Amino acid sequence: MDNNTMAPRVKKESKNKIRVEFDRAPLRERLKAKYLNAYFYKKILVAIFRFVLLLGISYIILFPFFSKISTSFMSPKDIMYLKLGTIKLIPKYPTTDTWKFLIVENHYFRALLNTFLLSISTALIQTFVCAMVGYGFAKFKFKGNKLLFLLVVLTMIVPHQILGSSFTMHFMYPSILGIDLSRLCNALGFTQGFYNTYVPIFFLSLTGLAFKNGLFIFLMRQFYRGVPDELEESSYVDGYGVFKTFIKIILPLSVPMLITVFILSFSWQWTDIFYTNTFLNASEHTLLTSNSFWQRLPASLEEISKQAGAYVETFEVAVKNTAGMLIILPLIIMYLFCQRYLIQGIEHSGFGGM
Amino acid sequence: MDKTQSENKFSAFIKRLIPKKSVSLSAKKARAGWLFVLPFVIGLIVFYIGIIAESIGYSFASYSKIPAARGGGYSLTWVGFSNYQSILTKTIDTKTGETFLERMFTGFATQIVEVIAIIMLSLFVAILLNQKMIGRAAFRAIFFVPVVVGAGIIAKIDYENALLESMSATGSIDMGSVGGGGLGDLVDGMDIAALFESLGIGTTLVSSVTKLITNIYEIVNRSGVQMLIFLAGLQSISPSIYESCQMEGASSWEIFWKITLPMISPIILANSVYTVIDSFTSESNKVMSYILSMADTTTVNGQQAAAAWSYFALVIITLLLVALISRKIVFYQRRND
Repeated sequence: MDNNTMAPRVKKESKNKIRVEFDRAPLRERLKAKYLNAYFYKKILVAIFRFVLLLGISYIILFPFFSKISTSFMSPKDIMYLKLGTIKLIPKYPTTDTWKFLIVENHYFRALLNTFLLSISTALIQTFVCAMVGYGFAKFKFKGNKLLFLLVVLTMIVPHQILGSSFTMHFMYPSILGIDLSRLCNALGFTQGFYNTYVPIFFLSLTGLAFKNGLFIFLMRQFYRGVPDELEESSYVDGYGVFKTFIKIILPLSVPMLITVFILSFSWQWTDIFYTNTFLNASEHTLLTSNSFWQRLPASLEEISKQAGAYVETFEVAVKNTAGMLIILPLIIMYLFCQRYLIQGIEHSGFGGM
Repeated sequence: MDKTQSENKFSAFIKRLIPKKSVSLSAKKARAGWLFVLPFVIGLIVFYIGIIAESIGYSFASYSKIPAARGGGYSLTWVGFSNYQSILTKTIDTKTGETFLERMFTGFATQIVEVIAIIMLSLFVAILLNQKMIGRAAFRAIFFVPVVVGAGIIAKIDYENALLESMSATGSIDMGSVGGGGLGDLVDGMDIAALFESLGIGTTLVSSVTKLITNIYEIVNRSGVQMLIFLAGLQSISPSIYESCQMEGASSWEIFWKITLPMISPIILANSVYTVIDSFTSESNKVMSYILSMADTTTVNGQQAAAAWSYFALVIITLLLVALISRKIVFYQRRND
């Protein structure tokens, strides 16, 4: 081929403008080269395979929610048809009674407010305490550092359900290292020790012993290990103490990770049934997860459920599912807004070397 | 650990906190370190160690109520290992004659298979979610839904959810295929079992695989945190390593085995530890649910404590094994520490 024809021709149009002309391959040829090759086919196939696979797993994850939503609008008649296999997901005689009576008769909004206040305060405490403890493990070399961290892992091994009765006993008859505290409790106005107050839950949160706090401490430690030491050193040189450095420099730096931990602890406190039902028993503490909300069939629904006849048990399960939906609905709304931060926070955590 | 010992520890610890006249920088930093982990240490000494010691103590004791005429309350007497002996040889399942010890080890086997499945699935999904594709944000959002709402009450409600079963029951959407296989049969364990058996693969392997497939919802539901941690790990691998690999002509398969896997191996270790703890101590597992069913809120149950602590010993041994095995495999990138 002649070199001259291939080379781009440069034409000067005016003082500041030039035009370059060169021969391009025709569009068809170019498209052919781009799309008709093994590499492109492979890419498309992989993409389709990946998409279908992820779609399938998403379906597995979301199906229980679909089923809960659909059964929550079902009347007893629909439940019967569902059991017989006549209908699947879409009710024939939809009704909103289940939602209405659960909200009104089981005092949904009061429980919601209580749960919200409890969750947000424990989540804030847990996030701060776990960040602090994790920072201590990550950045300071002291005797027993590794042993203590091993103990953090060990606290996760024994599920608190096993220790339930001991927990109750210790908070009912509180004592610190043999010193009896029940008089102090009486002076403070608690009749049954710290039982039936929020104190036990806050105590566990403050000491990093609450639900899965070991995981949070681990996550924070991993995060702080990725933070360069020079940052703190320069801060010390500038006259900040250790704690001031932590509050003013380290904490703002770790906001993404703190958000991740906060979301996790908030939602796990929100859906928790063990701690709330072990430490709080009386009716004055109505939470979303206490039995008085989700296990009690409202009186009006009981009448409706009689229509269901032989399928009354299934109807009760359906009501429980609706209660479950009511519990997690605010959580899901929060999640929709926060999920970006949940993932972003952990993505930029610098998890590399362990 | 008994109380006097923890008291000694506490006083020694207090002494360490009181500043001496002149201390070196490293000692100063060590003290600051103790201050940072102080909340946890206080909780451990004031509350947690006591409770754990109590629980271990119960496993060696027999409990008896003192009648109200003689003042009430209860007494504990030391009985040595008899609680352990009686619980380990106790027959749980009258049909099969399975003892608790046997249940513990069959449970162990299924848990190990489940842990491996969770790790593999979460690594696989994390790698997929880390790639650029259409709808990535949506998929990510969906995959972490179980992390946020899957635990606690929803798990409890779903545990005995007859509705879910009747809704996903097989055969109701008939596609008209031979033998009445419907949409529900897509992930039916029986078909896969038949397929594998005709291939001539061992039945124990087949049964564990089919069990995993029927449990897929549970497994996907429980691998959310692991996915999060893997995603974090994958993000921290420097893209320049991948780039140079591609320049050298490595295929994606080779890149996975030679780069991704070694770089992420410390995270696989951390995740395995977390998964072992999470799945061995979850309420839904057979052994734990049995131990919890023994619980009695009014009395102290020595047998339950014995059952729990022999099971936790097994869990701790498993963790040690995981740590030992991974010590050989895990690759640590050299850093300038």
